Amino acid sequence: MTWHTLLWISPHVLLAVIAVLMYQRRLYRDFPCFLVYMLFEIVEFALLYALNSIPSATEQQYTYAFIGTLVISIALRFGVIREVSDDLFRKRQFLKEAARGSLRWTKALLVLIGILCAIYAPGDDGTKIIGGLAVINRGVAIVQCGLLVFLMCFSRLLGLSWRGFGFGIALGIGVVASVDLATYAIRAQIASDEWARALNLLTTGSYLICALIWLGYILAPESKRSVVANVSGDEVDGWNRELQRWLRP
Amino acid sequence: MIITWILVAAGLFALGALAYIATWNRTSATGVDGAISVIRSLDIEAFRNLVDPAEEAFLRCTLSPKEFREIQRERAWAALVYVRCAGRAAVLFVKAGQAAQHSSDPQIAESGIQIAHSALRLRLYTLQAGLRLLGQAMLPGTSNRPLSSLIDQYERTAETLLRLGRLRNEQQV
Repeated sequence: MTWHTLLWISPHVLLAVIAVLMYQRRLYRDFPCFLVYMLFEIVEFALLYALNSIPSATEQQYTYAFIGTLVISIALRFGVIREVSDDLFRKRQFLKEAARGSLRWTKALLVLIGILCAIYAPGDDGTKIIGGLAVINRGVAIVQCGLLVFLMCFSRLLGLSWRGFGFGIALGIGVVASVDLATYAIRAQIASDEWARALNLLTTGSYLICALIWLGYILAPESKRSVVANVSGDEVDGWNRELQRWLRP
Repeated sequence: MIITWILVAAGLFALGALAYIATWNRTSATGVDGAISVIRSLDIEAFRNLVDPAEEAFLRCTLSPKEFREIQRERAWAALVYVRCAGRAAVLFVKAGQAAQHSSDPQIAESGIQIAHSALRLRLYTLQAGLRLLGQAMLPGTSNRPLSSLIDQYERTAETLLRLGRLRNEQQV
């Protein structure tokens, strides 16, 4: 077994561990789509690994299986992004309403950028299926990466405390989407085997990091919050005095 | 090819942004003291004067168009500093409110929800006001709608904070 194969297998072993932990902690109630996504990724890996290992399986069969599973995986990832976005706004209904418009515009803008990139940088025609796939994946990565960065910047800008597993999921997918954006941009333009091998390593490596992030967030206890109730009454009065001084001098 | 490298740069930038936000998310504190010092640094009267439409109308009448644009640009930049400070305070109040939501006392938790809610609205208004002021600083003399909503939102946050203070005092008694 080569270390490249090991790098391909290891994230999926971690995904299986995360799936078990999610089931034990009943996290599937909050993130059902994410659990389905992980289970699907494991099944997809098993299928592709089998096709890669069986000598009678043709390259064409592998390519079709790869494309078919990739389409489902992309759709599920959008579902997961929707789920983490719901997690962020779960207790902030007012904010959800305010954010809905911004999210819609962001999505529209990202889709437009993806389409414009596909038109103006259609890629290398040398290997049509792979080249076409890279262009589609590049567009998907633009939208997914953009949405996740938007959600994270939105929470940062407003000072929202977005912790726990939901944030971990968003972070992990964000890392994969960012690396996908960079690697598929190169793949779409440069169709060389040497580059493809190097980029494959990068993609697999980012997926391993992503699985480690998810595992870390599911295992690590949530960082302790500094609760306002610990602040003395004097300090609260100080706030009030300062606010009143500012508002009604 | 240039699009490819722009996208590669965007991917790396996104990766950096995610790492920064993840670090900030784990290390940021509620910063009650910070909120108080930020508020202390703000002079509401000066801010009101800077965004007062009557003051702007007066300046428009008394100054030459060139002078007016220069003064107006400086006023917009100054007001922007106030709005940024108010925005920073709002973020700290959001955090304080969110922390209060985890109190074992249901009334304090309820007040925490209200603080976070009001402070979030204030933050949204400061973002909106910041953009408008930035526009005014770039193109002085364009539409200058009053920014009273910013102050209204802050008053609501203050009222909720007062309520939380009262609750805490009652608890201590």
